[in-house]
Amino acid sequence: MSTDSTAALVKSPGAASDGPAEAGPSGRGPRSRSAAAYLRYVAGKLAGAAVSLFAVLVTSFFLFRMIPGDPVKHMTQGRPVSTEQLAAMRREFGLDLPLWQQFTDYCAKALTGDFGMSYQFRAPVIDKITEALPATLLLTGTAFVIYTVLGIWLGARSAWRGGKFGDRFGTAFALTLYSVPSFWLGLLLIVTLSVGVGPIPGVFPTGGMESGGQSGFAHVLDVAHHMVLPVLTLVAVEYARTLLVMRSSLLDEMGSDYLTTARAKGLRDDAVRRRHAVPNALLPTVTLLFVNLGNTVAGAILVETVFSWPGLGGLFYQALSVPDLPLVQGLFFLFAAAVILMNTLADVIYPLLDPRVGR
Amino acid sequence: MTVHETTDGAAGQGGAAPRSARALARARRLHALARFWRQYRSHRGGVFGLAVLVVIALLALAAPLLAGEESRSVTDATGGALEEPSGEFLLGTDQFGRDVLALLLWGTRVSLMVGLLAAFLSVAIGALVGITAGHFKGWYATVVMRITDWFLVMPTLVLAIALSTVMARSLWTTILAIGVTTWPTTARLVRAQTLAVESRPYIERARALGGGHGHIMARHVLPNVMPLVLAQTTLVISLAILTEATLAFLGLGDPTVVSWGGLLQDAREAGAVSSGNWWYITPPGLAIALVALAFTLCGRAIESVLNPKLGVSR
Amino acid sequence: MDRPEQHGSSTNPRTRRGRLRLLAASGVAAMSLTAGLATPLNPAPHEAEAADGGKKTLTVAVAQSVDSLSPFLAQTLVSTSIHRLMYDFLTNYDAKDNSTVPAMATEWESSDDKLTWTYTIRSDAKWSDGEKVTAEDAAWTFNTMMEDEAAATANGSFTSNFKKVTAPGPDKLVVELKKPQATMTALDVPIVPKHVWEKVDDFSKFNNDQDFPVVGNGPFVLTEYKRDSYVKLTANKDYWRGAPKFDELVFRYYKDQDAAVAALRKGEVSFAAGSPSLTPAQANSLAKADNIKVNEGPGRRFFALAVNPGARTKDGEEFGDGHPALQDAKVREALFTAVDRETIVDRVFQGNAVEGEGYIPPRFGDYFWKPSAEQKRAYDPAKAAELLDDAGYEKNAEGKRVGKDGKPLDFRILCHATDPNDKAVGKYLQEWWGELGIGLKVDCLDNVSDPWAAGEYDLAFDGWSVNPDPDFVLGIHTCAALPNKPKESSATDNFICDKEFDKLYGQQLAEYDPAKRADLVKQMQSRLYDTGYMNVLAYPNAVEAYRTDQIKSITTMPQAAGNIYGQDGYWSWWSAVPADDDAGSEGSGGLSTGAMVGIGVAAVLAIGAGVLFGLRRRATAEDRE
Repeated sequence: MSTDSTAALVKSPGAASDGPAEAGPSGRGPRSRSAAAYLRYVAGKLAGAAVSLFAVLVTSFFLFRMIPGDPVKHMTQGRPVSTEQLAAMRREFGLDLPLWQQFTDYCAKALTGDFGMSYQFRAPVIDKITEALPATLLLTGTAFVIYTVLGIWLGARSAWRGGKFGDRFGTAFALTLYSVPSFWLGLLLIVTLSVGVGPIPGVFPTGGMESGGQSGFAHVLDVAHHMVLPVLTLVAVEYARTLLVMRSSLLDEMGSDYLTTARAKGLRDDAVRRRHAVPNALLPTVTLLFVNLGNTVAGAILVETVFSWPGLGGLFYQALSVPDLPLVQGLFFLFAAAVILMNTLADVIYPLLDPRVGR
Repeated sequence: MTVHETTDGAAGQGGAAPRSARALARARRLHALARFWRQYRSHRGGVFGLAVLVVIALLALAAPLLAGEESRSVTDATGGALEEPSGEFLLGTDQFGRDVLALLLWGTRVSLMVGLLAAFLSVAIGALVGITAGHFKGWYATVVMRITDWFLVMPTLVLAIALSTVMARSLWTTILAIGVTTWPTTARLVRAQTLAVESRPYIERARALGGGHGHIMARHVLPNVMPLVLAQTTLVISLAILTEATLAFLGLGDPTVVSWGGLLQDAREAGAVSSGNWWYITPPGLAIALVALAFTLCGRAIESVLNPKLGVSR
Repeated sequence: MDRPEQHGSSTNPRTRRGRLRLLAASGVAAMSLTAGLATPLNPAPHEAEAADGGKKTLTVAVAQSVDSLSPFLAQTLVSTSIHRLMYDFLTNYDAKDNSTVPAMATEWESSDDKLTWTYTIRSDAKWSDGEKVTAEDAAWTFNTMMEDEAAATANGSFTSNFKKVTAPGPDKLVVELKKPQATMTALDVPIVPKHVWEKVDDFSKFNNDQDFPVVGNGPFVLTEYKRDSYVKLTANKDYWRGAPKFDELVFRYYKDQDAAVAALRKGEVSFAAGSPSLTPAQANSLAKADNIKVNEGPGRRFFALAVNPGARTKDGEEFGDGHPALQDAKVREALFTAVDRETIVDRVFQGNAVEGEGYIPPRFGDYFWKPSAEQKRAYDPAKAAELLDDAGYEKNAEGKRVGKDGKPLDFRILCHATDPNDKAVGKYLQEWWGELGIGLKVDCLDNVSDPWAAGEYDLAFDGWSVNPDPDFVLGIHTCAALPNKPKESSATDNFICDKEFDKLYGQQLAEYDPAKRADLVKQMQSRLYDTGYMNVLAYPNAVEAYRTDQIKSITTMPQAAGNIYGQDGYWSWWSAVPADDDAGSEGSGGLSTGAMVGIGVAAVLAIGAGVLFGLRRRATAEDRE
C-alpha cells in the first residue's frame, strides 16, 4: 500500500523526484549528452538526496518526541521503581539534557551510524536493525523478484492483446487483489492454507521464519517453507502495480512510430514485440519498481505482523507502542533513507539507460 | 499525459454567437460532459465500478432506515455473542450480540466518509501546491517542490502510522494522517499539467489583458486540471479506504466508531479469525475490497477517457 | 443523529429484518463461498516429539519479545519466566498455597531485630558446566546489584535496603539490612554463577545471548535463542528437585494471537496463553476442539475504574484537571450504581471472569473481602438518577445532567488502546451513563502514563496484578505514595489520600499475626470501597489452552484451580508430563519439512500454472473466434 495510484504509475520514473521530468511531459533526461553535464546532473541529484536525508533525520527526531508517554516510566513496565532510579535511567539515556542538546547529540552520532541504545532491548539500535534486516530483506526481496517477474510477464501479455478477454480478465483479477487489505488476506491464508479447511490440508506453518534446530539444506528448506504464505500475500497485493505499469508502458511503446517502421520492415509481430517494444517498455517499469521498493519494505509491516516474521516491520510497530524512541527513529530513518537512495539511484542511472537519450 | 481539450481554447469564439458568452460556456460544458459520459460508458469496468458505488452510497444513506439507530448499541443488543448466521441475524452477531449486517451498513457510512474526506483533503492540498508551484515559478516552486519530493519519498504507511500514534485516536486523526501523507503524487501531476496549460498562447493573452495571478489560476488553470484532479480523487479514495482499514488493524483507529476497518479490528480482538467466526471477519474485508476496487475502476476509466493512449479495456 | 421518526420506523423489528434479509441475500451468496474456507476443521495433530531421536519437546506460543536475557536487565514477563527456568532463586513458592518453600536455600532464619538474615545454601546443586553452586555465587550476585547501578536495573528494589551481603562459608549466606524488609523470603532474584559473570565488564550492555548453552542451575538450560523467532531450553537432567519430564522446552513467537491459536489447533505448539488471555470466542471454540484442553484459572488481576479525586502532591499542591463534580461522593456513587457488573462479566468477558467488588481477587482467599449488603452498590439506575438529582445535577430539556453552574456533566475516561476489554466496557459505560444524562468520552491511548501522572483525566481503566503479599497494591493508595512535585511519576495509583486508609495501612505493616493482618487488610478494602474512588468491576480469569495429545498433565498454580503461564515459580513446565507416544515420531520439523516444502512449492506452481493456462486457453479461444 503506498501513495502511488495508477495515475502516478504511468508517469515517467522521474516523477518520483525532480530532474529529468522537470522540463514537462516530454523531457526524458538531460538534454545535453556531454559527460560534464551529466556529472553536474549527478552532483545535483546527490546534493538533493543529502538535503532530503538531513530533513528525514530532523523529522525522525522531532516527530517522535511528540508521542505522548514517558519512555523511562514505560521502561520499568509498571514495576515499583524509586525516584532516584528513574532519574538514573533518565541520565543513562540522556533524557535529562535540554532538547536542543539531545538533538545535536543525536545528529552527530547518527552521522557515525550510532542511533543510540534501544530502551526496551538495552542494546545499540544499529545492532537490533542489523539483526532484523536479513529477515526483511529475504522476505521482501523474494516477493519483489516474484511480483516483478510475474507483473512484467502478465503486463506484457495483457498489453499485447489489449482489450481482449485475457487482458480484461487478467487486469480485473490483478486489480481485485490489489484492492484487498493485505493483512486480511494474510489472515484468511493462515486459516485456510495453514490450519487447513475441509479438503485443503494445512501444509504451511502459521507464522515465524524457522522451526529452529536445523542446519544446512534442511534449514534452507525450513525457511522456504515458512516463507510461502507471507510471500504469497505480498505478491498477491503487489503484482498488480507492476502489471499495470508494464501494460501501460508497453501500450505507449506500441503506439510509437518506430514500431510501425519495424513492422513495415517485415518483422513478425512476435519479433517486434520481443526485440523492440518489450525492452523499451521494461525500462520505465523496472526503474519505477526501484522507486517503489522502499514502499514495499514499509508495507511489509503488516505482513510481518500477521505472520510473526522477525523483521524490521514488526520491530518498528512494536517499538512505536513502547515507545522505544531511539529504535523508532533509527527505523524511520532507515526506511526513508532506503527510498531516497533508491530514487537517487534510479535518477542517476536513468539517463544512461534510456535509449532515446542516447549513450 | 496529453492535455485535456474539452474546455479550453474556445475563448476566442464567443463573439460570433448570438447567445451570451456565459450561456455558451455552459452549453459547451454540458456538451463536453455528455461526450465524457459517452466515452466513460464504453468502459465496462468503469460502469461496473460506478454502479457498485451508487448502490453502496444508497446503502450508506439509508443505513438509519435499514438498520436502525439502536443496532449499534451494546446494551440493546438482542443476540448472543458471536452467533452464527440465522434467519434473525443474516450475518450472525458480533461479540456483543449486535447484528453484523447492521454494523456493516453503519460502517459503510464511516468508511466512505473517511475515504472521501481524506481524499478530498489530499487532493486539495495536492492541487493547491501543484497549481501554485506551476504558476509561480522561481524560488517558491523550487522550495515547494522540494518539500513535495521529500514527502513523496517518505514511506506513506510509516508516516501515517507515526502521525496516528502522535495524535489522539479519532476519525479526524485518521483522515488527517491519510490526507497529509498522500498528496505529493497529485501535486506533481497537477504541476505538470499546470505548466502545460500555462504555456498555451491564450494564457499569454489573458495575462496581457490584465488577468491577475488569481484570475489565471482560478479561471484558466483550474478548469483544465479539474478532470485530472477528479481522476486522482477517485484513485486516492480507494487508497484512503484501504489505509483506514490498515490503521484500524494496527489499533490506531477510533475504537468508539463503527467502520469497516474498525469491525475487522473488533473481530480480531474477539479472536474471530482463529475461532472460525467467518461471518464476522469476512464481510468487512470483502466490503473494503469491493469499494476500493470500484473506486479504482472508476478512476481508471476516467483516466483513460482523458488519455485514450493508456488503452484501458474498452 | 438522534431523530425520533427513525426510532418510530424501526419499532417493528420484523419488517426491518425483512428488508435487511432482502438486502443481504446476495451478500450471503458471495459469503458462502468464503465460508467453507474460513471454518476450521479438525486438524491432524502433530506429535510432541521432534524428529531427531524421539526427543519430547514442549512448545509454548508467546508474543512478547525478550528484552534481555541478562537477569540483571530483563523486565518483561517472558524474560523473567525464562530466568526462573534457567536460574534457581533462594526460595520458591509452593504451587499449592503460595507459601515459601526451599529452593537454592534449604533453610533461613532472621535475627530478633529482623536485620540479619542467614540462609543455608544447598550442597547438592551444580551449575550446568559442572561447577558447584555455593553461597559465594549468591553473595556475588547481590553485591553486584548493590555496587553497580546497571546491575540493579531489573531487581534493584530488592537490594536497595541491603547493608551488607557475605558468604562466610560455601553453604552460608548472610544478609544485613538497613531496616526490616518483608520480602526476605520472597527475593525474586535469579542467582547467577560468579565464575562466569565476573568476566562481564559492562552490565548495562551485556545481554547474555552470545554463548550457548548459558550456564545455569535451574530445571532447564538455555541452549538457543533467535530474536522474535524462538527460545530453546533443554532439560537439566541433574536438577536437584528432579529432571523435567520433557527433554526440550521451546518458546516460539506468534505476534498475532489468532496465529498462535491457529498454531495450537494445528499442533505446531503445545500451549497457548494469549496475551494477556485467550478471548472468550477462542476459549469457546477451542473447548470444542479435539485433544485440546482449555484451562481457566482465577486471575490475579483486578479490572477497575479509577476516579481522579483531584491530583495533588505530598504537600497538597493541586494539579491536573480532574472533573470537580467527581469530588462529590454522591456523584461517584451514582456513577457506579449505574454500572451493571453482571452484564460486564456476561457480555464482555463472556463468563470468563468473576464479578468484582472488593479490591483483592478471590484467588487470594486470606485477604478477599466482599461488601456487606447495605454497603454494596448494586446495579440500580433509578437510584443513580435519584442520587444525581439530590446532588444538584438535574436533567435539562435535552436530557443532559447539568450542574448548578449550568455546565453539563461530561466526563473523560482514559483507556488503554491495546486492551480490548477497556474499549468494550467503554461502550457499555457510554450507554449506561448516557441514559443517566451523563456524557462520556473514551480516550484510548497507547500509553496512558503521561496524562495519568499529570492528573489530566476524570476516570480511568485501572488494573494491577496482585502479589501473594498485598502490601504493594495497598501501598499505592496511601498519601505517602503521592508525588513530590506535580506531574512527577510516583508510586501513587490515582492520587487517593485518605487518613483512615493510611492509619489502617500503618497498622497492618506492623502486624505480624497473619490472621489479624488479614483482618486489617479487609478493613482497608472496605474503606477503599466506601470512598468510591476505586471501583473494581471484575477479576478476569486467566484462560489458556494446551494440547492433551502432547501434554498429559501439567501443574497449575494454585494447584487446585490455577494458571499455567506466568506462575510465581517454574512448576508448570517443570512438572509437565508428555503424552504417551503411541504414534510415530515424525514431527513438524526435520524430515517431513522437505516433503512439505515440496507440496507447498508444487501447490504454488500448480495454482500459478493453472491460472496462466486458463488465461492462455481463454485468450487463444478468443483469438480463434
